[in-house]
Amino acid sequence: MTGGRWLLSVALLLTACARRDQIVVGSKNFTESDLLGEIVAQQIERRTALPVERRFHLGGTFVCHQAITSGRIDLYVEYTGTAYTAVLKHAPVADRDSVYRAVARDYAQQFGLVWGKPFGFDNTFAITVRRRDATRYGLRRISDLTPLAPRWKAGFGYEFLERADGFRGLASVYGLRFAAPPTAMDLGLTYRALAEGKVDVIAGNSTDGQIKALDLVVLEDDRHYFPPYEAGPVIRQAAITRHPEIAPALAQLAGRISDAEMRRLNALADVEHRDIASVARDWLRVTVP
Amino acid sequence: MSLLSFYSRNSQEVLGLVGQHLYLVAISTGAAIVIGVPLGILLTRRPAWRGPVLGVANVFQTVPSLALFGFLIPLPFIGGIGATTAIVALVLYALLPIVRNTYEGVAGVDPAVREAGRGMGMTDWQLLTQVELPLGFGVILAGVRVATVVSVGTATIAAAIGAGGLGVYIFRGVAVVDDTLILAGALPAALMALAADGLLGVAERRFAWRGK
Repeated sequence: MTGGRWLLSVALLLTACARRDQIVVGSKNFTESDLLGEIVAQQIERRTALPVERRFHLGGTFVCHQAITSGRIDLYVEYTGTAYTAVLKHAPVADRDSVYRAVARDYAQQFGLVWGKPFGFDNTFAITVRRRDATRYGLRRISDLTPLAPRWKAGFGYEFLERADGFRGLASVYGLRFAAPPTAMDLGLTYRALAEGKVDVIAGNSTDGQIKALDLVVLEDDRHYFPPYEAGPVIRQAAITRHPEIAPALAQLAGRISDAEMRRLNALADVEHRDIASVARDWLRVTVP
Repeated sequence: MSLLSFYSRNSQEVLGLVGQHLYLVAISTGAAIVIGVPLGILLTRRPAWRGPVLGVANVFQTVPSLALFGFLIPLPFIGGIGATTAIVALVLYALLPIVRNTYEGVAGVDPAVREAGRGMGMTDWQLLTQVELPLGFGVILAGVRVATVVSVGTATIAAAIGAGGLGVYIFRGVAVVDDTLILAGALPAALMALAADGLLGVAERRFAWRGK
């Protein structure tokens, strides 16, 4: 083998290793998950020498869970309540610390996944109505909806209809009986359908930018049906063992995003159509300099 | 859970969704024929309109279905949520192959044959109904065949706007990563597409020789 060829093979081998040593960050198929994925990706890029590959907008909870347990991605942002009920199949519980502890323990034992510290905000399912209706009928809590439901139409995303902490439990806890079975549709289209009066109640996310932009009202979960949904990074143990520098980089994000701050960031992307990478970059520069 | 036991336990629901799916495809393809064939014929009489009309039909093909639904929700009569909106979207997607093939079929008739018809004193209407349409029928049918087969597949996105159909299983399956559920929707849709392709293929061959 000539010297030139030998060098070339070494170079190819090195690039192959480098490719394997990148961190793959995933996200679910909605703006907030993309934003948090981008913030985490940029933070790893800023604080470590690791290249980051982005696999965003993968699909719902179960698609991301499948991807991380099979090693296709190393990291994505999950919500404690979602992990607790939808993935681990526990019955919903209200106490946020016990949900976080249970989720962190079970993820480590069952999947070899590590839960980082939560970012600080809670993104619960938001049972949402038009402000006009909220004013006319004096709606403030979900239980106020019960007497109106037989005359109302609901529209929900497929995941909310299927999940253990989704529609079925909500309907039985609040005694909701709608005129017809809820219309199953794409989650992103439900806001539009509500604003245009095609349905009367939807289940959005409490930190969504559209709630303010479309002048909608979120009803209070007065019977505490939904568990806490604190967002935090979930990482493969194998990735942390190989690159321990990821952990302190992520720890710098703990507790840094309030509910209001997350709503503001989502609105920048969804309502003002700012590009997600620049929203994440600006936020990181100001908050975690 | 295997696919067969899923079907046997949910047979009522499966049949309902298959029915909805067939309904969506039949109505939308029917409407696309009623609109597309006359439009294609019109283009042979007004060649200057050909570029813009085919261009618009082309643009519809490139609009993602969710974006199209987003535009349609606020519109009166043709919008909202449910079957109407899904059918409008499917018609828009089916127009291009039908309009284009109708134009090609009619415009592709041998000029000598058309001249012979004129020489015999045929009016434009007689020329169209007795010469051009019968001769171009095979090509027009090929367009309808493409539109139908594509519609069977595209109709699965009707589930995103509450219009039901076999896409319901696919959307539910994707949301919870259940391959059985995804297959439960995808398999009958694929069989339906093959059946439509086969049937219309037979019809197309029967009319193709008449053109020769």
